[in-house]
Amino acid sequence: MFLHYLDLSWRSFRRTPLVSLLMVSAIAIGIGITMTSLSVYYMMAMDPIPHKSANLFQPQLNTMDADRTWSTPDDLPYQMTYKDAMHLHQANLPYRKSASYRTGFSVHMNNADVKPFLEPARVIGQDFFTMFEQQFIFGDAWSLEQEKGASPLVVINRRINDKLFGGDDSVGRSIYLDDTAYQIVGVVENWETHIKYYDLNNGSFNSVEGIFIPITLTQSMQYDAWGNTNGWKFEEVNTYEDRLASELMWLQFWVQLDTPEAVQDFSQYLHAYLEQQGQLGRFERDNVEFALRDVKEWLAYNNVVSEDNQVLVGLSFMFLAVCLANILGLLLGKFLKRAPEVGVRRALGASKRQVFYQHLVEVSVLGLIGGVLGIAIAQLGLWGVRATYSYYSALATMDVTMLLAAPIIAISACVLAGLYPAWLVCRTTPAIYLKTQ
Amino acid sequence: MLELRPIFNALLRSKAGALMLLFQIALTTAIVSNAAFIIYDRIQYLQQDTGYPEDEVFSFRVLTFGNDVDLVQRTELDEDMLRSIPGVIDAGFFQEVPLSGSGSASGFGIVSADQVTEQQQSTRAAYTFADHHAINTLGVNLIAGRNFNPDEVVVSQSFDKVPNVAIVSQAFIDDLFGEGEGLGETVYLGSYPLKIIGVVEKMMGPWLKDSAAENFVIIPLVQAAVYQKFVVRTSADERTAVMRQIEDLMLDAYDQRVINNIDGMDIAKEDYNASDVLMLRMLLVLIVVLLLITALGIFGLTVFNINKRTKQIGTRRALGARKSAIVRYFLVENTFICAAGLIVGCAGAIYLGNLLLEEYSLPALDNSYVIATAIGVFVTSVLSVLIPANRAANISPSVATRSI
Repeated sequence: MFLHYLDLSWRSFRRTPLVSLLMVSAIAIGIGITMTSLSVYYMMAMDPIPHKSANLFQPQLNTMDADRTWSTPDDLPYQMTYKDAMHLHQANLPYRKSASYRTGFSVHMNNADVKPFLEPARVIGQDFFTMFEQQFIFGDAWSLEQEKGASPLVVINRRINDKLFGGDDSVGRSIYLDDTAYQIVGVVENWETHIKYYDLNNGSFNSVEGIFIPITLTQSMQYDAWGNTNGWKFEEVNTYEDRLASELMWLQFWVQLDTPEAVQDFSQYLHAYLEQQGQLGRFERDNVEFALRDVKEWLAYNNVVSEDNQVLVGLSFMFLAVCLANILGLLLGKFLKRAPEVGVRRALGASKRQVFYQHLVEVSVLGLIGGVLGIAIAQLGLWGVRATYSYYSALATMDVTMLLAAPIIAISACVLAGLYPAWLVCRTTPAIYLKTQ
Repeated sequence: MLELRPIFNALLRSKAGALMLLFQIALTTAIVSNAAFIIYDRIQYLQQDTGYPEDEVFSFRVLTFGNDVDLVQRTELDEDMLRSIPGVIDAGFFQEVPLSGSGSASGFGIVSADQVTEQQQSTRAAYTFADHHAINTLGVNLIAGRNFNPDEVVVSQSFDKVPNVAIVSQAFIDDLFGEGEGLGETVYLGSYPLKIIGVVEKMMGPWLKDSAAENFVIIPLVQAAVYQKFVVRTSADERTAVMRQIEDLMLDAYDQRVINNIDGMDIAKEDYNASDVLMLRMLLVLIVVLLLITALGIFGLTVFNINKRTKQIGTRRALGARKSAIVRYFLVENTFICAAGLIVGCAGAIYLGNLLLEEYSLPALDNSYVIATAIGVFVTSVLSVLIPANRAANISPSVATRSI
């Protein structure tokens, strides 16, 4: 029966080509526009590390005076001071954790073969690799002893390794970052993440760093922070030592807590630490304030999905509603015009249910064609997005979920629009039409 | 005359189709008026005057890794070299580049920060360090006071000696001291006093979306560092040529460094605003397509109504109705639906505007946009009815006498 209905739909399509084409293009354009903005939204809002996002936490400490406010809803600063971050980094706790910040170097080999190039780098502890699941192609992370000893070691990613060593195993060799030689201990796979969730400072969709160096080198090497540095009170900061000892906030910190008990335990640790810092007179506040946010909460807290995009998704769904109203109106006309034919079918024994079903198959076919064309339009739209805004290039694509979602949304939308006309037409009483004919 | 009553009664006999059209027109009005307003708002933002001749200025960054060089001396040599390139009007060291999206900002107070006891009057402003070539390099208009004297410019690698004068934007000085006041007064960056010696008519800071985008302060300090920026101004048609040779010239002068981010000021601004351009384009596509879809919907529905009523139209014609009466019938019918749709749509537009205002940082919807959209939608609907209605008017009366 289903195939017969498909055949009927095709005949009906051909009988009224203009109106059918109108309906298909309405649904195709509606789906195309909606999927364009929805795809970008979906990629922005996607969980970047789904199996672990509930276990990775970014603590926020309020180390400001009680009367200071911040641009966040709960007045907690986004970043940490060096002394707090390093205290937590080195704290003797059974959890993987790492302070981190972004810097950058001119990378060269101290010879004429390679033209020096500028490359951002991430300064981290060795736990960072495990926490964020970096895959080592060659070598491994530096050891805890090496980290404590602040040796000039470096982990590079595949891209840099390809560029400098043609993809060979470069472990043990050296590269120059500015004027210092660093020994390569490991090469990691390129980090494919479309949201730079571990550091949202330089833009949520900025490129990830290709060079990783131990954070313990900070004091001796005096790296610049390539990100935001925020202060809240006046301090005389003239040297790098001043900066490290100051209340300036410029580091990110991540900790992996796998169980509720661990979260509890770590929270208590933070509470005790802040209480002690308060007693030392670092800041004037009576109550201890801190937060522990996991990856998803952190992304929401930082408003990673842009407002413009939310507005666009809303408007495109309204647009889709207009397309549906359009189709509904056209379907009404089309189906009712066919009432005499349906009357004959009913008289010959077709049940109401069968007539209803037949018409729903017809609108589903419209939806399917519209949905497929819609994907094509959405690809065109996404191409336009990428051409306008290269920063979104990793986001303005459709993955399998979105590709499947397009025809499903299209078909359900069409069925929704077809329900009323199909119901009207299946209520046709055969007698009237038999009489006139 | 207009046969309102029978047309209205006929409408009631096919409520569903009419309702759908009404709904479509209402939603279209609501969406288009809000989208058009957002577009207008973004265009205003994108086209604002920044105070700079953007197509004449470009900037680049230098990261020095060689450690055999006196950075202070190197910076001065680089500046001299840049200024001597043919086609270059002026050039100089800049700590931060205007309109680039990256910079430094601070509160500037009228009392030194280490003497502040309570919250004192202070104004947020972006600032940059540069030398006495800054005004000419940026191509901005000094309207009061004077430029820096060369001996006021401090060239150093640390903070052991600091400048004590500044040139500021008019917006900043008006903010802090009130209109027309403030020249010659002292402001404090932290605990450093700076006497305002010059006022520039307009120069915007690094971030066009900042809460104080027009507040900008130039402090005469050349702080030689391994990572620094230069700004160059040429004539508009020579800029590309100069930009192309800048990397080679800089590396010829000293090669233990990396030159990058050679960006025209207008290009950097475009990058900073790319998301707004994107929003603008997407909304524009949305509006055009939406109007098209609605027009096609009205067109399709009218065609259907005409097909359904072929016999009746023929009968009317046979009974003496003029062609114009037939066209009028469809026009009046459409006007009924459209008017109802527009009333609902205007209310919807205002509601949606309020929603956007509350939920997002969008400005309040201007009612003139709703009215203009309503008129536009009405005209579109009339046009999309006219074509099929004219066809209907040509139905021959003889159709009525035939059976189906």
